[in-house]
Amino acid sequence: MIHTENLSKTYMMGDVEVQALRAVDLEIKDGEFIAIIGPSGSGKSTLLNLIGCLDTPTSGAVFIDGIDTGKLSENGLAEIRREKIGFIFQQFNLIHTLNALENVALPMFFAGVGRETRIKRADELLAKVGLGDRMYHKPSELSGGQQQRVAIARALSNDPEVVIGDEPTGNVDTETGNAIMGILKGLNRDGRTIIVVTHDAEIAAYAGRTKRMRDGRVLD
Amino acid sequence: MRDKFLLAFRSIRERKARSILTVLGIAVGIAAIVSLMSVGYGMEEAITGELTGMADMISVMPGEIRGAHSYIEKGSFTDRDVSDLQRIGGIKEISAMTYDAAEVEYRNENVPIFVFGGDTKELEGFYVEPVGLKEGRWLRENDYKACVIGDRVANDFFDEVIHVNDKLVINSDKFIVVGVFEKGDMLYSNDVDSNIFLTLRAAKEVLQTDEIKYIIVRVYKIEEAERVAEEIEEVINDNHGLDDFAMAMTMGSMIEMMDDIFNIIQGVLVGIAAIALIVASIGIMNTMLMSVMERTHEIGVMKAIGAKSRDVLSLFLLESSIVSLVGGVTGCVVGVIVAKVLSFLGSTASGLEIAAIVKPEVLLAGIAVAVIVGVLSGFYPARKASRMSPVEAVRYG
Ligand SMILES: Nc1ncnc2c1ncn2[C@@H]1O[C@H](COP(=O)(O)OP(=O)(O)OP(=O)(O)O)[C@@H](O)[C@H]1O
Ligand SMILES: [Mg+2]
Repeated sequence: MIHTENLSKTYMMGDVEVQALRAVDLEIKDGEFIAIIGPSGSGKSTLLNLIGCLDTPTSGAVFIDGIDTGKLSENGLAEIRREKIGFIFQQFNLIHTLNALENVALPMFFAGVGRETRIKRADELLAKVGLGDRMYHKPSELSGGQQQRVAIARALSNDPEVVIGDEPTGNVDTETGNAIMGILKGLNRDGRTIIVVTHDAEIAAYAGRTKRMRDGRVLD
Repeated sequence: MRDKFLLAFRSIRERKARSILTVLGIAVGIAAIVSLMSVGYGMEEAITGELTGMADMISVMPGEIRGAHSYIEKGSFTDRDVSDLQRIGGIKEISAMTYDAAEVEYRNENVPIFVFGGDTKELEGFYVEPVGLKEGRWLRENDYKACVIGDRVANDFFDEVIHVNDKLVINSDKFIVVGVFEKGDMLYSNDVDSNIFLTLRAAKEVLQTDEIKYIIVRVYKIEEAERVAEEIEEVINDNHGLDDFAMAMTMGSMIEMMDDIFNIIQGVLVGIAAIALIVASIGIMNTMLMSVMERTHEIGVMKAIGAKSRDVLSLFLLESSIVSLVGGVTGCVVGVIVAKVLSFLGSTASGLEIAAIVKPEVLLAGIAVAVIVGVLSGFYPARKASRMSPVEAVRYG
């Protein structure tokens, strides 16, 4: 289970304070599929980055399975990102020098998984997202939708309980977007917690619960 | 560990253009250090080599050298001086020479030229062996009206070029040219290029003198040269009843006189090395900083999917070491080639035989500089990026 307490993030733009997130209390249950929608600049990405331990809050806390992540060391946070969470970016963010298989295997490499296991599992994951025939392609040789599917496979690499997507369908066409949401829905059915940010009400409809954000707050 | 190496190699290979540029950036600096040092050492060696080849020689002159360039003649030696020298122990050879300016005529042109006469064997060892003859042969002891001329005498002094078998008139005596010297290099051009060489007998006759102006002595043991030189001065000064008539100079003392020059050469060498080192280091830092900094985004992504700062750092450190090592080795190879070319061009231009000397410690130092500077300047931006929050690093670029 994930929950936030009084979670706030303030950015400094020169002398101006930007309150990207204002005292957010949010609870996400295990196995839930939640969509967060809201206008641009409302703080959706900021919230996801904090939940995903990619950033640290200005005040407040994020608890993952009862652990206060603010109390963890750098390495402790890296471990959470590696083992408990799979993050999917709008821009895919694959390593462009590595092929699909190696990209998917990379989180396992950092987790110290042996070479053979890594390749076997990456192979399976790519097949699962429908890219069994594109394993040795570089990101530059793949379409946006294919790259996002590699990114999903990479997010699943260390078998995390939570998958977080920050507008995972933002850079692909509607049809591909639906396919990607279909994959996420399937992951949810397998018992994983899915948190997705989107602009698109149709996409949000895949989720079991939808939360709206405005001006750094989560609305009821 | 093996996986890490594979990953580092992958990253280097896939970023081919960047990697090649980085390697070149490092190699250029290292090549500069290696080539300049090697040519520098070669030059130093060439000059000391020439001098130590003549270290068993003592020059004896009737006069003294005052200051750097002026020589004051106090008279001349006699045959008795020469025969008295034979009593001194440790002497291998004595060669008495005479010289003076003479009027030389060739095809109705008159030019004053220095005429040298001496023991033909001694002159041969002293001049012909190092300089070489371009045409004809060297003088023989029983030659009489024969002469060998320097390069400038043959080519520059007269309107027409002089060859073997041409005839010269020296102080109204006819001589036949039996040989022409090659052009002497830096050390010999003064002594050879603008002179005419005769047998001692012919020189004495044509210059109408019995005066001996120059004696060259060779010793058996170089370490005895100083003692022999002192004895030579004593013997000749005794003969002439003067305290400081003769001056006997060992090559060793001439080399000492040139110490200043060597100090300057050394200073220049050290200066060049220091400049090359600084330029190389700045170049390496620049290329390495750039190539790691532009990968801040990649570092962010690695951290976002669970890499620890340590994982990222060790990966980049490995990559920097490989690139720096390849750059360093490439730089050494290029540096050695450049040094060879430079020393070849230098030899052709100066006439002095310069062979670049590639010292292993210079190569090792070059590689060490490449790796140390390369890795440190790769480490700095990698550490900076790995300490950013993943979001911050991913945003980058
Ligand atoms: N690194 C940053 N420095 C300064 N301000 C920032 C930074 N990141 C975000 N902000 C500001 O914080 C606010 C929330 O940004 P955030 O990216 O969370 O919005 P969002 O809801 O994800 O918007 P979008 O739908 O456009 O992605 C915005 O006003 C944004 O300008
Ligand atoms: Mg956003």
